[in-house]
Amino acid sequence: MKQILLITDGCSNVGESPVMAAAHALQEGITVNVVGVVDYGTIGELGSREIADIAKAGGGISRIVGTPQLAQTMQMMTRKTVVQTIQQAVNKEVKKILGEGSLEALPPLQRSQVVTVVDELTETSPLRIALLIDASASMKPKLGAVEDAIRDLALSLEAREGSSEIAVFHFPGRSSGEEAMLDMDWTRDLSGIRSLFSRMRMRGATPTGPAIFKVLEHYRYDTLDKHRDRHPAQDHDEREGMIGGYVV
Amino acid sequence: MGMSSNPPYPAGTVIIGKWRGNRYVVERLLGRGANGTVYLVQREGRRERYALKIGYDTLDLQSEINVLTTLQSRRKRNEHRARQESPLSSYLLEADDFADGNNVPFYVMRYVEGRPLHLFLSRNGSSWLGLVGLKLLDKLRGLHECGFVFGDLKPENVMVSDYGEAELIDFGGASPLGRSVKQFTEWHDRGFWNAGSRTGDENYDLFAFAVLCLRLLNEEGLKTAALQLPQMRSTDELLKLARKLPDKKLSSWLSLALKGGFSGSAEALELWENHIYKTRKREPESMATPRWLKNAFALSLFLLAFTIYWVIRF
Repeated sequence: MKQILLITDGCSNVGESPVMAAAHALQEGITVNVVGVVDYGTIGELGSREIADIAKAGGGISRIVGTPQLAQTMQMMTRKTVVQTIQQAVNKEVKKILGEGSLEALPPLQRSQVVTVVDELTETSPLRIALLIDASASMKPKLGAVEDAIRDLALSLEAREGSSEIAVFHFPGRSSGEEAMLDMDWTRDLSGIRSLFSRMRMRGATPTGPAIFKVLEHYRYDTLDKHRDRHPAQDHDEREGMIGGYVV
Repeated sequence: MGMSSNPPYPAGTVIIGKWRGNRYVVERLLGRGANGTVYLVQREGRRERYALKIGYDTLDLQSEINVLTTLQSRRKRNEHRARQESPLSSYLLEADDFADGNNVPFYVMRYVEGRPLHLFLSRNGSSWLGLVGLKLLDKLRGLHECGFVFGDLKPENVMVSDYGEAELIDFGGASPLGRSVKQFTEWHDRGFWNAGSRTGDENYDLFAFAVLCLRLLNEEGLKTAALQLPQMRSTDELLKLARKLPDKKLSSWLSLALKGGFSGSAEALELWENHIYKTRKREPESMATPRWLKNAFALSLFLLAFTIYWVIRF
């Protein structure tokens, strides 16, 4: 399972539309969640609409929170999205087998069995989250909280039975040609997160769209590079088998 | 999702099950959990009252129901072996969908009468903690024996009867041992204090229990420690609070729990019973001297003084 978690505090102002970039992500099987961080004042109508739209286009969830709630919100969104992704896949199988609509329509016994499978997969499916952090100047006072929230998220992910990996990007990059910069490549080790942002340089522009595209590229590059991404296909078969076993 | 903002059902609403057809009449709202709203209901035509939880999300609620079902069947099996268990097996009565209410799912459970732990203690005094703590640890031990951790342990999720019976409510955060903890509350979470993982093990619940005790006995101190910078939060901060407590036996029990030093909840329960529950000490300062005795004493002093004066004068 693949997710992008975008953490931002305002409107994009450079390059392609982030909503389109998110739609591309969804097309490639990557869910996009967005957290808008506000501390002083509000994010503005335009900003909050963009945040909601990016998440909608990316098949994910959006929330606007202050820094005190950041950690819990990120943890909740990630978990919720994993559950949703699995639920969608499972629902599809349920439909195939029973010809029936959603979980809500199933009689109690079957529903209980389906949810057992969803819970099982939520805990055990391999998961990858690319964190994409807006490092434009206005975000600077909030980066400490973002760092803590990432550490907290990593702690929750570590507790899962399935493998979980995090990669961290920030945008804009160092030069004007670089949309986003990779701070930490896929890792299961959270000790590296501590000093992540000390090297970060804050700059003015907010190229949210191009940055999302850059992360997509990274996902793709990784697929070519390693054969571990044949896993999703296998998973899918397994999943089908399990559902078949449980429901019929 | 989204249903959480629904206004509560007014008293008198009849909730009819879509699949089983049972009818429940709403008496009043009891509270809101992470997964749903709980009402006090009466089954139509019967006298018993139950707690009925209406879910916000079908999947989340079903997941909770699954935990309760498994728990119930394992508990029955355990009871078979050890006969004297409390009659908890009737915790979950049934699960259904509310036919008229957009098919929102609900389940019916035993109604636990009482008040949340923190309110109970502030009303009855913290001298009850030894007994209530014992009962609560016993509940946790039973849960762990069945292969589950409670997860979201906090005073709000513990109901205490007028006579100190403790009962866990809201199993939305419960998960099988060894799995990640699904729901937790910052202050009570081991991860929040940089004190260990979020994997559900017996010590996770014991850690939360220890924080719960600290919160009940020194909420201000805990609050100050929790509001520090995240990287400053540590077990040491909590240990400091524990050491400040006047009851030294309780301090050392809490320290052990915070450090994850128990082999499991069975040992934790045994130590609590032997060192905290059974060593109830008389509190001389609170053994208030009756007013009449004080008055009598004052009077006798006065008489003495008067007598001495009298003797010296004449």
